Amino acid sequence: MNGFRKVCRWLHRELGFFAVGLTLVYAISGIAVNHVHHWDPSHTAYVANSRIEPPGDGETEAVAPLVLERLALQEPVKETWRAGREVLQVFVQDGTIDVNLVTGEVVRRGNEKRPLLYDVNFMHLNKGKAPWTGIADAYAAVLIVLAVSGIFLVKGRKGLVGRGGLLMVLGIVLPVVYAVFARRG
Amino acid sequence: MRRIVTALLLLAVAVVPAVAKEKIYGKGVAAGDVTPISVVLANPDQFIGKTLVIEGTVVGVCAHRGCWLSLASDVEGETLRVKVEDGVIVFPKEIVGEKVRAQGVFKANRVEDTAKKCDATREGEPEVQCKTVYELFATGAVCNWK
Repeated sequence: MNGFRKVCRWLHRELGFFAVGLTLVYAISGIAVNHVHHWDPSHTAYVANSRIEPPGDGETEAVAPLVLERLALQEPVKETWRAGREVLQVFVQDGTIDVNLVTGEVVRRGNEKRPLLYDVNFMHLNKGKAPWTGIADAYAAVLIVLAVSGIFLVKGRKGLVGRGGLLMVLGIVLPVVYAVFARRG
Repeated sequence: MRRIVTALLLLAVAVVPAVAKEKIYGKGVAAGDVTPISVVLANPDQFIGKTLVIEGTVVGVCAHRGCWLSLASDVEGETLRVKVEDGVIVFPKEIVGEKVRAQGVFKANRVEDTAKKCDATREGEPEVQCKTVYELFATGAVCNWK
């Protein structure tokens, strides 16, 4: 048993160090995306108002180039769309610009990436797919090894047969009870 | 150590072109005819329950969960909503302004103006004013497929 415990300690220690970075990524992002109904965990929204010389509500082919010229954007334009007789929308990388063709009012609504959170959420939600799927699967396997090896680290009253065992049962019962009640609800 | 760094650099070079390609959501879109959104919206009832492929520029996207997007029709001012199963397909905010082709079943939903389900009218109560909202319930989509 001591040999087995030694292996568990070694595995737990080595993989534990390795898992620090990835655990922080998933934990920080976990809290952030858990509250997605309260906020956007990856972006901050902004609205900016300005005005251009009104190009008039003529044909789209005629007014769209005028609008782009008068907006004098420093960034690439993805697309323009005539949302209505008086409104032309201009799509750029981080948002949408609504231009009132009659009044010349410009409302830019956009989203800026939250520093750090955008990247950890990108990884947590696996938006990059292929390369990250393998890394995330490997990390999940590491977590399983950490969880199982952790059970056998300490012997005696603080270990599996004592307080450690009680805490482990609590940690297993908690999600099971929740799952039962959540399913009823 | 040098070998590991070289291998990682080669992996990064291999990954970059893969990321830059078209983006597929869900089951993607099978090859086949595209039905113009204007044709669908001109006679929506004849398309209900049918599997369609539509395409257009994304002019709106669900801000919180990325569970729907709004595609511009080939007719100015017209749009059609593309709904996907929550959490199964998540459209990013950056998709607005991109060209998207989507495949799914065309549906008509009766809703109140408050967007609630239109099943609240009971005997003896005032009739709930409902309208029909059309949408494509998509199983897949492709962004910038050209």
